[in-house]
Amino acid sequence: MLSRTADHLFWMCRYIERAENTARMLHVNTQLALLPRDEAVHRESWQAMLRLFELEGDFAARYGAPQPQAVIHYMARDADNPSSIYACLRACRENARAVRGSLTTELWETINLTWLTLLRDLDDGVLERSPEQFFEWIKHRAHLVRGVTENTMLVDEALHFMRLGSQLERADNMARMLDVRFHEHEAMAPGGKPGAAQGKALDTDAGEFYRWSAILGCVSALEVYRKVYRDVVTPSRVVELLVLNATLPSSLVALMRGVKDNLARVANGRSAETERQAGLLLAELEYGRIEDILRGPGLHRFLTNFLARVNHLGTRIGRDFLLPLSS
Amino acid sequence: MSDAAADKTITERAFNEMLDAQGNVRPHYHAFAQWLASQPDEAMAARRLEADLNFRRIGITFSMAGDADGTERLIPFDLIPRVIPAAEWRRLDQGLKQRVRALNMFIHDIYHDHDIVRAGIVPAEQVFLNAQYRPEMQDVTVAENIYCHVAGIDIVRANAGEFYVLEDNLRVPSGVSYMLENRKMSMRLMPEMFSRARVAPVAHYPDLLLDNLREVAPRNIDDPTVVVLTPGMYNSAYFEHAFLAQQMGVELVEGKDLFVDQNTVYMRTTRGPQRVDVIYRRVDDDFLDPLSFRADSALGVPGLLSACRAQRITLANAIGTGLADDKSTYLFVPDMIRFYLGEEPILSNVPTWQCSRPSELSHVLAHLPELVVKEVHGAGGYGMLVGPTASRAELDEFRARILAHPGHYIAQPTLALSTTPTYVESGVAPRHVDLRPYVLCGKEIRTVPGGLCRVALKEGSLVVNSSQGGGTKDTWVLEE
Amino acid sequence: MRHLIKHTTRYHYTDPVSYSIQVLRLTPRQDEHQRLLRWHIEAPGLLEEQVDAYGNITHTLTLTQPHDAIELKVTGQIEVSPLDGGAVHGEDNRLPVQAYCVPTPLTAYDDGIRAFAQGVLPAGLRGPDDALALAEAIAQRVAYEPGMRTAQTAASQVLAQGHGVCQDHTHLFLACARALGCPARYVSGYLHADADHMSAHAWADLWWPRHGWTSIDVTGRQYASERHCRLAVARDYASASPVRGVRTGGGEESMRMDVLVQQ
Repeated sequence: MLSRTADHLFWMCRYIERAENTARMLHVNTQLALLPRDEAVHRESWQAMLRLFELEGDFAARYGAPQPQAVIHYMARDADNPSSIYACLRACRENARAVRGSLTTELWETINLTWLTLLRDLDDGVLERSPEQFFEWIKHRAHLVRGVTENTMLVDEALHFMRLGSQLERADNMARMLDVRFHEHEAMAPGGKPGAAQGKALDTDAGEFYRWSAILGCVSALEVYRKVYRDVVTPSRVVELLVLNATLPSSLVALMRGVKDNLARVANGRSAETERQAGLLLAELEYGRIEDILRGPGLHRFLTNFLARVNHLGTRIGRDFLLPLSS
Repeated sequence: MSDAAADKTITERAFNEMLDAQGNVRPHYHAFAQWLASQPDEAMAARRLEADLNFRRIGITFSMAGDADGTERLIPFDLIPRVIPAAEWRRLDQGLKQRVRALNMFIHDIYHDHDIVRAGIVPAEQVFLNAQYRPEMQDVTVAENIYCHVAGIDIVRANAGEFYVLEDNLRVPSGVSYMLENRKMSMRLMPEMFSRARVAPVAHYPDLLLDNLREVAPRNIDDPTVVVLTPGMYNSAYFEHAFLAQQMGVELVEGKDLFVDQNTVYMRTTRGPQRVDVIYRRVDDDFLDPLSFRADSALGVPGLLSACRAQRITLANAIGTGLADDKSTYLFVPDMIRFYLGEEPILSNVPTWQCSRPSELSHVLAHLPELVVKEVHGAGGYGMLVGPTASRAELDEFRARILAHPGHYIAQPTLALSTTPTYVESGVAPRHVDLRPYVLCGKEIRTVPGGLCRVALKEGSLVVNSSQGGGTKDTWVLEE
Repeated sequence: MRHLIKHTTRYHYTDPVSYSIQVLRLTPRQDEHQRLLRWHIEAPGLLEEQVDAYGNITHTLTLTQPHDAIELKVTGQIEVSPLDGGAVHGEDNRLPVQAYCVPTPLTAYDDGIRAFAQGVLPAGLRGPDDALALAEAIAQRVAYEPGMRTAQTAASQVLAQGHGVCQDHTHLFLACARALGCPARYVSGYLHADADHMSAHAWADLWWPRHGWTSIDVTGRQYASERHCRLAVARDYASASPVRGVRTGGGEESMRMDVLVQQ
């Protein structure tokens, strides 16, 4: 297929994932804000979210202090913030429009209607009145787009590039989220000693429990955790589940498995090296052990490395398949 | 009927496609008239609503510009078809093929030996000073000697029922997608009609077009790759580009998807560069090749002209066809038919006066309120004076314009275009129509029966262009 | 006069160029009075040769691998015979002369140009003498700046600003000639001005039924001679330029050109 078409499809899917991810992050933060905690802890929570998106500086310059309403406004509807839900859905729809002929009618209409309804809802003040409802709605629209995609699109090259975009974005989002949250956790561990809380039961610290279950809830994995571990929520197990457990569809290893498979399906004359790198990354996850990660390089180093490699894969995919070097 | 007095006479006097002078239904409309009479008003209203909704859903739009909020404009579709009996179409068909054959030979001649100029039939200035003439095409060989592969010829019918060619469109004629979608809509909403009357099908147009395009691939290519080149989604005819590409099963590309390497054209695909052999291009000449034409064009492919000259790519339509669809070249088409084919034209031109000729200029100025005056280089119905409906002020203003640049204008009698019953506010009333059949030239010249029928929806209006309030109808050519 | 030519053009880019295509008009025309002894163009890729509609010998160079510089080196030897009153003969060109009457964006004539031309030649552009008078008037009116430019100025602006390079002189000359109804075309080539001075240059050809094509060096206010080596003709610089290209990427472009000619 045309490189440009594949590029639009790839990015269309990245953007809808990005929008959903933002909505989930905001949702978690909104829920955490309901817990009785220190003012500083609350503020740090919102700050952490901005940090996750590498937007601390831009936000501070334009809005100042991380007031919840301001952050929500910034991350949900600020048209000048390229990572806002508004900007992501707009970009998703623009990419879809550019390749409308490659989408099934249902998929185009689903995306288009999502955009039009978003505009109407923002106008009506739904975000300000009932933010949780708003975030839920974004989540459901993303589910719908994925469902319509999997159910109506022909299983050919187009779909493989769409899945690649989706998987890379989700892997990136997951790794970032874990990095920031775990970092936050370490900074706030009882006694403030990094690593001190690892492996230790948290039921004694209700705040910690809510934080970690909120994170699991964010990726819809709380019940899964219970099922897999049948035990209390510990940070290291949360990390293990979200990074190394192949049965969780949104885990890093499951997503990388998807990336490798889809790359194999679209392989062309010059993508062998990209495939190799993806395979290598997958193997490290498939054969990795949580203790080795936490003890050895430490989670932060591990995730930073992972993010860099996923990012690099995205660039390589662009070069191998999608667009010439510069345009 | 309404009461706009002046227009009423023109519309009333015009040839009515459905009713004869005595008000009886013409034979080829019998079946439809009967069926329509049997339909309750609400049923027809429901059908019309359904047509609107479906066209909007499918997204057949006139322009997508400025639709940040997702609204797009439709060209109105009128349910009542224009019906043409078989014998009439046969004659039209012959005339169209003859005309397009001669036009192609003319274009070939101008870019080779200039015989018709040397024979003194067409003045050199008319050809070589024409803004659409492309010297770059001199002596470039094109496949099958065809320059215009897709032509849209605008046909009108005058008072006594005779057909005239109003205009030739040989560059990037559009509208065929409406013809196809209108037929689909008619069949969906009035299936009984299609079992009752034998309407010649048109749905095979994309197949014919694809066949045609493959036939003109550069020589010695077994399985030619055809693409449709579009300026992109902000172009007003984008829907049609995407539609035709999809119907033919070929890629829809923009300039940036293609590149030239060693005079061969490739498209950028996920599997690497893939050679392209034929480009059905809907980008104007000026913007096609920034290496040879407008350097600021982002819509074209640098090096395309060289690839043409090297005969490694076929462009449909070729560069430089605009020279033959100019309103001033139009005057010479009957002569072209005689010169190249040795035949008398089957279809006539509308009688035309050239304001560049002093005697004709004075005639035009003396009869301005009765004439239609057109700018020689204009398009889309703008820059035009319709004498009978113009105000005193408009007439004076146009008169001044003509006097300032007489060479820019031609004039024709106001043809009372034929009318067809059309749904209007007050019910059903006659509205003026034209017809644009499409002619495909490859190894043979082929047509699909009928074409796009455009209707002027405004009462008394003779301007059928969609950009000025026109609509479309389905055209039914009846088989014997 | 025999000329030994070494012409190097170098392009540099601040970012990598992923794709570039150039059309080179660096090979002398096969006009009757020009005899090519040897001629070679060295380029970083394959050159596709064609003759364009104006009778120019062109080469197309496509580079599809990333690059940040392009070097073109022309070396050759050509013998140019004297022209009698600038008359250029023996062209095999099939383009009708009327094709050279058409104004182009660079040579469009407005009222200002028309007035200027009619002022210099109230009786019209009747023959080669008139052409020299027009060249003289333009050279006086438009102060000469040495060198060549890649960005082009339209004729009406040249007249207004009162200074320009040889391309500007030529475009204004063409605009005036066409305004007076005379077919005129742009000539690109080399000029051997004196023993040490060689340059890429631009001048013009005019056509009359009686004289055929006559070549005028507008800047030099004289007929073209055996010191002028013709590379290409067209309606204006855009279609006659020695190198014209399009690229993807590259950032900023800088160009350096060195022409060496020995007699």
